[in-house]
Amino acid sequence: MKSGQSATSMHPSLGTLALYVGRDLPRMQHWRVGRHVAHCDDCEQQVALFRSANGELRREAKNETLTAFEAIADWNRLEREMLGNIAVGVSAARCIDKVRRGRTLLSRAAVVAGVGALLAAGWMTHIPREQTEHLAASLRRLAGFEHPQAAGTILEGTSEGVAVRAQGATLTIMHPPSAVVSMSGVSAVAARYVDEETGEVTITKVYGQ
Amino acid sequence: MGSSSKRAGFLVALTLLVGMRGIAQNDSSRWLHVEFPNDSPVLPVSFSLGPTTFRPRGVSMALDLHASLLLRNTGTKPISGLTLRVEAQDVTPAGKGSVTVPSLDVQPGEVFPVRVDMELLRPFNVAKSEGAIVQVSLDCALFNDLSYYGPDKLNSRRALLVYELEARRDRRYLAKLLQTGRYAQLREELNFGLPDLTPQQLGLELLHGPRAAARREQAIAVSGVSFPSSPVQPLSGAAHVAGNEVRAPEVEVKNTSQKMVRSIEMGWIVRDEQGRDFIAGSIPSAMQLGPVQTGTMTESATLRFSHPTGQPMLIGALMAFVNDVEFADGKLWIPTRADIDQATNDPILRRALATSPEQQRLADIFRRKGITGLQEELKKVN
Repeated sequence: MKSGQSATSMHPSLGTLALYVGRDLPRMQHWRVGRHVAHCDDCEQQVALFRSANGELRREAKNETLTAFEAIADWNRLEREMLGNIAVGVSAARCIDKVRRGRTLLSRAAVVAGVGALLAAGWMTHIPREQTEHLAASLRRLAGFEHPQAAGTILEGTSEGVAVRAQGATLTIMHPPSAVVSMSGVSAVAARYVDEETGEVTITKVYGQ
Repeated sequence: MGSSSKRAGFLVALTLLVGMRGIAQNDSSRWLHVEFPNDSPVLPVSFSLGPTTFRPRGVSMALDLHASLLLRNTGTKPISGLTLRVEAQDVTPAGKGSVTVPSLDVQPGEVFPVRVDMELLRPFNVAKSEGAIVQVSLDCALFNDLSYYGPDKLNSRRALLVYELEARRDRRYLAKLLQTGRYAQLREELNFGLPDLTPQQLGLELLHGPRAAARREQAIAVSGVSFPSSPVQPLSGAAHVAGNEVRAPEVEVKNTSQKMVRSIEMGWIVRDEQGRDFIAGSIPSAMQLGPVQTGTMTESATLRFSHPTGQPMLIGALMAFVNDVEFADGKLWIPTRADIDQATNDPILRRALATSPEQQRLADIFRRKGITGLQEELKKVN
């Protein structure tokens, strides 16, 4: 017969009994509580209640665990769904990006066309036709569509001097900006001015052959 | 180490360049050679080089030469005009230059200066001879009696003769204005400061050698500007124009005198796209033309015109006039002032036609010294 009264003052607390049932107590304390329960009916009854509840919890936990496994077992499906959703999202984003890029390209092309039209209008209104033709001829020569003309002697009269150019060499007779330049025969260019130092009219000419 | 060697290289290059510049300034005979015949009525007294320098420019060497020659009339006749030939055989064997001083009145024994300012651009790979780079010699000296001296390789005699005849014509005209007190007309004739009457300037190129026909080239008619007393009259003409280029201009002329013509100098007027007229110059051509005969003057060169700013000048029209005529007997005809007055109603074109070298010189004297200075000058020369 277990002595219930004598052991009451020594009863472990309910928390200690719960820990005992769950085998969560230190080994020495677990042995001492186990000796008490073996000799105390009240505590033994309380331990039985705890064990019963613990078993129920374990079963429920087991059931919960199975449900989670079921979910894990369907991960592949979830993964496929997720990947599918991601792919749909990515595709949608790509579609949107294409639209945006198309719009960007369109706007850029519009800007380029506008600037081009402005340049063309400016060129047509400000650049003389023969300069355009000269540029076009130079481009044709660069592209090889047209052969360069044979370089002969070139006589030139500018505001700085009259010059004869041939074979890469140039002879220039200088004059002041006030000089009047004119041709003087088919093979000469002349400039006429009053020499500031001598006070005499001076006519300079260059001749080509 | 690297920077010190670079510095040393720079110093060596600088030393060489400074040394070369020094040679250019000191050893003038290496750069310029002045040669006149021993029997020449004009002889050099001295010549000096100004700030003559040379420097590399791309793959070429650029030589800036500023020479001042002092010449003396060693003959017995007054000199009315002079042309010096300037050559650089090593640099431009196909081209040469000249410096002409017309409207001179250099009495025997007098000394007068002639300046030559030039620039030579010579590729490094061109071989150089032992002589001076630039040679200056006498081409022609015209005397007061219209006789001349010199080899006349550049056909300078004819040009000097025309200048002298124009000078005499204009001096007489201006002297008459002074004598009759027509000062307003005199000022109008000589005041080149009026912007609306300033002769228009242009830039031009004469292109020789084979050239392909330009695209969009169109044939245009050349109209003639007639001087009433001219012994040769322009009848009709044509040219090919493309933008600012004129190719193969030709004019049919008729000798309306009773004398045989040896050569004709045809003047050309270019009208730009804005209707402004420019005297492009004149082209003398040898042409044997009997009385009442017609002939065609044709030029092979291509002329390219531009404004002084370098902008191409679009050609709207071409006109031609007979600038002077040389007869078989050597005499020359030039238009009179009355001819010029009657030739056109355009005051700018009339002024351009009348602006001889002598009128330009006298206008400069008038601008500097006023009517008194002009009177003294005309008394001295006439």
